[in-house]
Amino acid sequence: MFRVSDQSFNSGFLNQVMNLQVQQNNLQNEASSGLDVTNPEDNPSVMTNVLNLQTSSAANTQYQSNIATLQSAATTSASAMNSLQTLTSQASEIAINATSGTASPTQLASYAAQVESLIQQAVQIGNTKDATGNYIFAGTASTTTPFTTTTNAAGNITAVTYNGNTSVAQTDISPSSTATAQVPGENNTGSGPPGLFADSRTGADLFSHLIALQQDLASGNTAAIASTDSPAITQDDNHVITQISANGVMQSALDAANTMATSQNTNIATEVSTQTNANMAQTLSELSQAQTAYEAALESGSTVMRVSLLNFLS
Amino acid sequence: MAGQSLSTEQDATSVTGHNLANVNNPDYARETLNMAAAAPVQTTIGPEGEGVQAVSITEVRDALLDAQIQLESSTTGSLNAQQSGLQNAEAYLNEQLSGSTNAGTASNNGLTAYLSNFFNSLQSLSADPTNISDRQAVVAAAQQLASQFNSVQNGLNTVAGNLNQSVQDDVNTANEDMSNIASLNAQIVSAQAAGGSANDLIDQREKLLEDLASKVNYTPNTAANGAVNISIGGVSMVAGSTVADTLGIYNNAAGNAMVMETNGGGPLTLSGGSIEGAITARDGAIANLGSAIDSAAQTLITQFNTIYSAGYDLHGTTNQTFFTGSTASNIGVNSTVINDPTTFQASGSATASGDNTVALALANLSTQQIAGLGNQSITQSYTNGVGAFGFALQSVNDQLSNSQAVSQMLTQQRSSESGVNTDQEMTNLLQYQKAYEASAELVSTVNAMLETVVTMKTE
Repeated sequence: MFRVSDQSFNSGFLNQVMNLQVQQNNLQNEASSGLDVTNPEDNPSVMTNVLNLQTSSAANTQYQSNIATLQSAATTSASAMNSLQTLTSQASEIAINATSGTASPTQLASYAAQVESLIQQAVQIGNTKDATGNYIFAGTASTTTPFTTTTNAAGNITAVTYNGNTSVAQTDISPSSTATAQVPGENNTGSGPPGLFADSRTGADLFSHLIALQQDLASGNTAAIASTDSPAITQDDNHVITQISANGVMQSALDAANTMATSQNTNIATEVSTQTNANMAQTLSELSQAQTAYEAALESGSTVMRVSLLNFLS
Repeated sequence: MAGQSLSTEQDATSVTGHNLANVNNPDYARETLNMAAAAPVQTTIGPEGEGVQAVSITEVRDALLDAQIQLESSTTGSLNAQQSGLQNAEAYLNEQLSGSTNAGTASNNGLTAYLSNFFNSLQSLSADPTNISDRQAVVAAAQQLASQFNSVQNGLNTVAGNLNQSVQDDVNTANEDMSNIASLNAQIVSAQAAGGSANDLIDQREKLLEDLASKVNYTPNTAANGAVNISIGGVSMVAGSTVADTLGIYNNAAGNAMVMETNGGGPLTLSGGSIEGAITARDGAIANLGSAIDSAAQTLITQFNTIYSAGYDLHGTTNQTFFTGSTASNIGVNSTVINDPTTFQASGSATASGDNTVALALANLSTQQIAGLGNQSITQSYTNGVGAFGFALQSVNDQLSNSQAVSQMLTQQRSSESGVNTDQEMTNLLQYQKAYEASAELVSTVNAMLETVVTMKTE
């Protein structure tokens, strides 16, 4: 015959009530936090996975920040390049007009002055700074003034010297790719990133060609303008257009990388939610059941504990 | 005969009263009065009964259940200590997910987040290496990371220290229990040798045995005279009424408390109880976690400084280190760069401050697979350490839940066998009361009969 002592009934009742309280507490925590994995002990493999996913997500967000920095630099660079292309286009037009056969010496002198102005503007463009005060066409020597000039007694620029380098800084835009918005002012080494104002691989040498044009205009040497200066300026103009196009391609790549990062983070967020979020309907249902069982245990236990043989003895 | 019967029923009532008085004493085993018919006397018409007599008072106790409960107490004691220690360590680890911050993503504030913030600050710097704000952000993130390493590792050391103290405290308690058990052995043996019962003393000793079992697993041996001898790890601790040996503490090579036999000085290998549980937690999962954290910190310091020292700051200076220290407890940041972020060596060139080669290499250290970490990145190595710790604690939780269920079941069984039931005792009380009344009536009747005889002679 199974026997129930007072102690065994009381301790059994308390154990049941305590277990139900623990159950309710856990379910309530789950309902209020929305998570069914909070600590490593809850689900170690999920925890490890979530920590790694959150690291990846934060990295993606950082890549997007890097992309924004590059896009800002690329926009500044593109604006400068477009101004430069306007300038080279004007120089090319001047060279054509000077060799039309109808330009007078006075007009040639005027053209020379215009080209002198274009050279000065080109130097200013070459020495453009970004929002943080770094020169954008100096390569990685970004605190060095890229272009300095030499002038003659008349104040005309006779030489422009490039003081930057031919290196560019790569920046991570994804776990497996980098990009740069930097363009060296000049690169005559034959390898590496293209120089904007001069590049030995394409024959571009804008400052030298503009100075030569200015000097030929000043001396009235229309033959040299027609045979040498005009084709050279046209080549420089095409070179700048190519760099503008490359800038556009780079910005498109940045946009694509940004979209990819956004997509990856959305997927990560979904994955983390799937692994950690509580099934609220199930949680609330279980909580309701636990509450009902708790109340039933209290009521039945208190009813049984109140009654004994002592109640019926006179 | 009637008088003997009255006395016997009084004894029975006394035993019932003792049971009722101890109804709420969880350590009490109910007692029963054993009655037997008194030896008959021979008469000319055959043997004539002499009524009832009290023979003995026995307690209802199952030695097998007691032994099982002691064993399970050791298991539960060990697992409780492990769970407590590991949960304390988990709190210091601070790798907790805390509710959604945006659609489906939970956040955490542990080392993983600080590592991530640090490497991402280096990414920002790599995009604009001359930016002073970005340099300041890197230094700040490094300081926070170093501080978190210090905090977590020092926290784990605190937990280990607390476990050492609990080992010491439990050893002292266990020695006290064994001393008290020896004392009770003497009293029980003496009482039983004199022909009496020692039920209450046995209850007290059983309580001490279970308390002792929760501290340390031992091998009991009940002697013929009723004494319980105790040995731990094969070493005799309690022999009858004598404390043959005690548990002692010594420090191992790591400076942590271990248990030995005091007399011989030899180490004891324990297999259960809270002492063993504290040692297991301290030298197992917590030590492994500390090792994983130390490994991450040491690798970060050496790998980072190697790359960093080849870089140049904004002044063209090179060959400095960034992180100081050598472990998670003492990792810090070079005060020179804290005071002047322009000295952060982000460039790969002495003359090109816009060069970000070193900053980029430092940022990419976050995903670099490192041979010394089993071809894992620093963060992966650390998170795997967290996962291993989580598995250890989860396993302890599951085992403890099972052990507690078994303990409760065994305790319920023993309570069912040995516990006091008020209804039963009240019924017995009524029974003994009626028997007492009947015996008293017999006394009255015999008295009346004697008076009749006396009255006949005087008439």
